[in-house]
Amino acid sequence: MIERGFGVAEGVSPALSWTLLGLLALGFVLLLLEARGRKVTSWIAISGLVTAIFVAAAVLRPTRVNTRGTDLFPKVVVLLDRSWRLDLKDGERTREQVALDALHALQKQLKQTRVEVLGFGEGPPQPFVENNASKSVRSTDSDLTAALRALSAAPGERPKALVVVSDGRLTSPVEGASSDTLKELGARLGVPIHTIQVADTAPPDASIRKVATTGAAVAHQKLALEVTVGCSGSLACDELPLTVEELLHGEPPALLAQGTAKVRDGLATVALPFTLERAGRRLVRVRLDAPEGDRVPANNQRLLTFDVTRERVRLLHVAGRPTYDVRALRMWLKADESIDLIAFFILRTNSDAALVTDDSELALIPFPVDELFTEHLPSFDAVILQDIDAVEYKLERHLPALARYVRAGGGLIMVGGPSAFMGGGYAGSPLSEVLPVTLPDPDAAPAVDMASFEPRVTQAGRAAPALRGVRELLGERLPTMLGSNTLGPLRPGAIALWEHPDRRAGQDSMPMLALGDSGDGRAIALGVDGTHLLQWSELGERGAGRAYGALWEGLVGWLMRDPRYESARLELTRECRAGAPASLNITRLPGAAVDVKVTLERLGESGTARPQPPVTLRMEGDVETATVPLGALEEGGYTATVHIGSSPPARFDFACESGGPAFADSRPDPALLERISKATGGVSLRASDASKLQAPPPTHVESQRVVAPLLPAWIWALLAASSIGAHWYARRRAGLL
Amino acid sequence: MLEKKASRRSVVLSGLAALASGRPAHAFGDVGAFNPRVIVAGGKRLTGPHSTGPAAWSMELINRTSAPARLAPREVALDRPELCNEPFAIWAGDSDVGSLSVAERRGLSKFIRLGGVLVVDDSEPGQGSFGRSVRRELLRILPESPPVRLDPSHVVYKTFYIVDRPVGRVLGPPTIDAIVRGKSAQVLLLSHDLLGALARTDEGSYSFPTEPASYQQRQHAMRFAVNIAMYVLCFDYKDDQVHAPFLMRRRAQAR
Repeated sequence: MIERGFGVAEGVSPALSWTLLGLLALGFVLLLLEARGRKVTSWIAISGLVTAIFVAAAVLRPTRVNTRGTDLFPKVVVLLDRSWRLDLKDGERTREQVALDALHALQKQLKQTRVEVLGFGEGPPQPFVENNASKSVRSTDSDLTAALRALSAAPGERPKALVVVSDGRLTSPVEGASSDTLKELGARLGVPIHTIQVADTAPPDASIRKVATTGAAVAHQKLALEVTVGCSGSLACDELPLTVEELLHGEPPALLAQGTAKVRDGLATVALPFTLERAGRRLVRVRLDAPEGDRVPANNQRLLTFDVTRERVRLLHVAGRPTYDVRALRMWLKADESIDLIAFFILRTNSDAALVTDDSELALIPFPVDELFTEHLPSFDAVILQDIDAVEYKLERHLPALARYVRAGGGLIMVGGPSAFMGGGYAGSPLSEVLPVTLPDPDAAPAVDMASFEPRVTQAGRAAPALRGVRELLGERLPTMLGSNTLGPLRPGAIALWEHPDRRAGQDSMPMLALGDSGDGRAIALGVDGTHLLQWSELGERGAGRAYGALWEGLVGWLMRDPRYESARLELTRECRAGAPASLNITRLPGAAVDVKVTLERLGESGTARPQPPVTLRMEGDVETATVPLGALEEGGYTATVHIGSSPPARFDFACESGGPAFADSRPDPALLERISKATGGVSLRASDASKLQAPPPTHVESQRVVAPLLPAWIWALLAASSIGAHWYARRRAGLL
Repeated sequence: MLEKKASRRSVVLSGLAALASGRPAHAFGDVGAFNPRVIVAGGKRLTGPHSTGPAAWSMELINRTSAPARLAPREVALDRPELCNEPFAIWAGDSDVGSLSVAERRGLSKFIRLGGVLVVDDSEPGQGSFGRSVRRELLRILPESPPVRLDPSHVVYKTFYIVDRPVGRVLGPPTIDAIVRGKSAQVLLLSHDLLGALARTDEGSYSFPTEPASYQQRQHAMRFAVNIAMYVLCFDYKDDQVHAPFLMRRRAQAR
């Protein structure tokens, strides 16, 4: 597009131009006053005016200006709400579909603009591309404030207008934000914010609006869960039952707490105190029993992940008789300030003659076996059974409960000795099923073997972080043990860290130190009674006696899922959403190339549930991290078990929600969108009216400018001089000089 | 139940049989058994009737408690690496031990620093030269840990029996001096001739009368010996909070 105009010569400042024009105008006015007083002819006035014009032209030297340029379409940024909440349905269509239709209408309406579509959710907005891949970049939140802040901080051309397409249930600004806060949103970019409302009616819905906890989750300590329940869309709500359950591995969910939400004015808050006994990642399900007519069932439950810590590891140490091995373990456990130790040792049997007239001369207390293994068992993080006869000390009847305790997340270490494993009546008991080794039939094999041997470290033992401390102190040497318990082959999934160099268990060497998962818990089988020799022997002396502590620190650490003793660190690449592809990040210590196998199982289902087919991959020696796709998962709790080479498996529990916090409040908030638009000078429209949005005016940009003088300067000077002469002549003739 | 007990004992005894046969190794279940090894220092070893005391100590422990013990304890020299193969030893004598060699001092120091427990038993407490000489040598080895008097509430008085005071062949002082490192009394310094109270003749009778002569005193000496063994095996188990109210009631009843 070409535009034509006039100007003055280059170098003539506007101040000079205006000064000159002022002087000429003044001269002309004086001339008119003179003419009125002396009755001069019109020629004098005309020649005076012409003279003034030519003099001005001689000074200003007028030019012709031709400019070539274009009208640029203004930049408009459309911010599309990418919260999962837009999957909520209004009628037959989701809010997402309504939003996309509105976006298409906007793109059509704003043809004379440059439209950039960004999705906003958490943090800076991301380019939105309407295809399947874009569905993966969804979020829980709708943080408009963060999106605008990022836009204002970004370099480059600023938009002329912003259009927000949302249902208005924003994370920020919140529902009751002040006008000043809303004005500030537009002030950041200095543009109006138009809003498109993709929903305006709340569906009939009872939902878990919010779940909050007071304080951190600490094992064995009561945790108060505050659940806010909302009821909207004319749904009849009065008293709504709530349950809190823990999702366990291979077990049905365990009930933690129950309550009733008494809804008043659409809201109710219920405090549900409960106690998580096990530390580590725990999945808790909060369920709302919604009334009939509820249109959004996905927000009737929440799956919460608690990283339960412990103040101290609470251990129960039960020994069948006092020995140096018991002494060493007790001293190590007592020396560790992070361990809260409860110990019971059998110091006298019925056949011992204490030679007292009265039991009051003895410092002995009855072994409270029933109390320990019923009432108090859940309060322990782990139980150590050291060379104790289950039959003689009436432990036998509590073995089923002890097995359940392990499957529910407890830890168990069975330490060898004549009265451990088969020798203690554990073979064929329910407890033997949670051990990492099988126990042969007592009639088929001797309970113990008296032959001395040096345990052999297995390949898994060399790779196990739990034995790293011992390896660093003693290498692969271990003290000579004076006999061993008879242990059967490893259970599926269990790992042997030490094995007997001569004895066999099935096709393989007999495991002497084995560990494995059982349900949510872990168990360790140690088939020797002389680990104290890691401190009290010539070999132990080589490590200054520290190898004993290193061994037990590793074993108890692994049992308690201390990350230092796990073979890998596992985490989801992002929040798992039911139906959306999930993937797991695996970080391991650098080492040799290994095969990695990832098995996924659902939590909260009986042990008969079959795990999904494992995913396998290979990590080369220089590779420390890998990402494993888990596929699109259904709603629920999951446990991922990762086998890295021959190392003990690492486990990661996580939840996949279909509703989650994004669905917590299904009510749209068009009023907030209207307030935002009003505060920033924009307009707020329904999605169906998106095509009525006015585009901002275009911006003209010059690309070429040609300046040419109207006449050469000397002609203007000649004309000025001639006109001055003519005017002088006219004045002389009139007798004005 | 009895069968199992017998079975367990048989395991220990089979280990003892192995000992008797001269084999160095013991049996499964025996490796952690209480073993009152007798210290040999400066070429001086425990001889005479007192040398039967350690075996009698083990026998009393086996008969009275569930703890396994070695019936034929061996001697161990302070300058031998075997000293650090087990966490307990007893050093008994009736005369000045003389000055320990550098190797002996190093060996004893290593034993103590590893967490071992040593009972020093003066066989002639009236004379006291053995006890004094051992204290002198210990002070050279552990100058930072001089002996202190154990409180009457110390766990050694309640590890199995509830006892009021230390007793041996002689009644001796009513308290025990000990070298305490950390939370553990690692060296118990007795002036009661404990092994003398335990020692027996080949016929099974006691080698020495108690002073004053009293059946009760010998029984109390045996109880005290059992308590020391239980302290070695269980450390401060009876100090656990779970036992506290029970033991307080028992002590109140005893008064």
